[in-house]
Amino acid sequence: MAVPKVITIQSDLDIVAARMAARDMAKSMGFGAIDQARIATAISELARNIYLYAGEGTVTVSEVQQGVRKGIEVICEDQGPGIEDISLVMQDGYTTSKGMGMGLPGAKRLMDDFEVISIMNEGTKITCRKWKR
Amino acid sequence: MDIINIPILKIENFLIASIQVALHDLQAVQFKDAVLQRIYESKAKGVIIDLTATDVLDSFVGRLISDIAAMARLMGTTVVITGLQPAVAITLVELGLELPGIETALNLEKGIAKLRKITESNADGSA
Repeated sequence: MAVPKVITIQSDLDIVAARMAARDMAKSMGFGAIDQARIATAISELARNIYLYAGEGTVTVSEVQQGVRKGIEVICEDQGPGIEDISLVMQDGYTTSKGMGMGLPGAKRLMDDFEVISIMNEGTKITCRKWKR
Repeated sequence: MDIINIPILKIENFLIASIQVALHDLQAVQFKDAVLQRIYESKAKGVIIDLTATDVLDSFVGRLISDIAAMARLMGTTVVITGLQPAVAITLVELGLELPGIETALNLEKGIAKLRKITESNADGSA
């Protein structure tokens, strides 16, 4: 199993670093080119959310196993303002004033598992996984 | 701060820029400014942005390319995106970013042919 990798997000440069780390791990695990692009793009969206809304946070990329299946797990955590209404931000087309809009629903479609935990004024934790087929 | 240097080449009346590296946000914005400035200086009729070497395109850079096309159109110039890899095309659509209104072509050669056709018909129409 690959060693988990933690990337601190503090600037837009770190967004690229996070998606490259996720992509490298996906590649080394044998994910195909399309899944590598899906994983890297989803992480790019989530890391950008951290940078835009919380200012800083971390992205942790690790290998996971569930029975016989193997996957990649990405945890995006921040101590930002939190999400008031998760079901609202998970709606397609929802956008805030900083509006990129593809954010969470787009990232969710690219991954297999997607869980959002958010507490107002404490922060947000998004755990997502992609399983090898 | 590292400034991106993506060569923007001119051939006939067209500009060609090939994105070969993973752009971070600031570099992507610099690239947009550089393309628009070059359109203005060179009076180019068309621009090709070649993404053959791009393996990840997120919503930020996708939107930015869409913005470049819209801004270039305001200046009277057509932008054609070429060489999108299958993985990038699949990811963009799944993400929900289908870049409507953007001219695309399979590769650089077909992109130039498309630009020629578009700019010739524009010239006929406005003459």
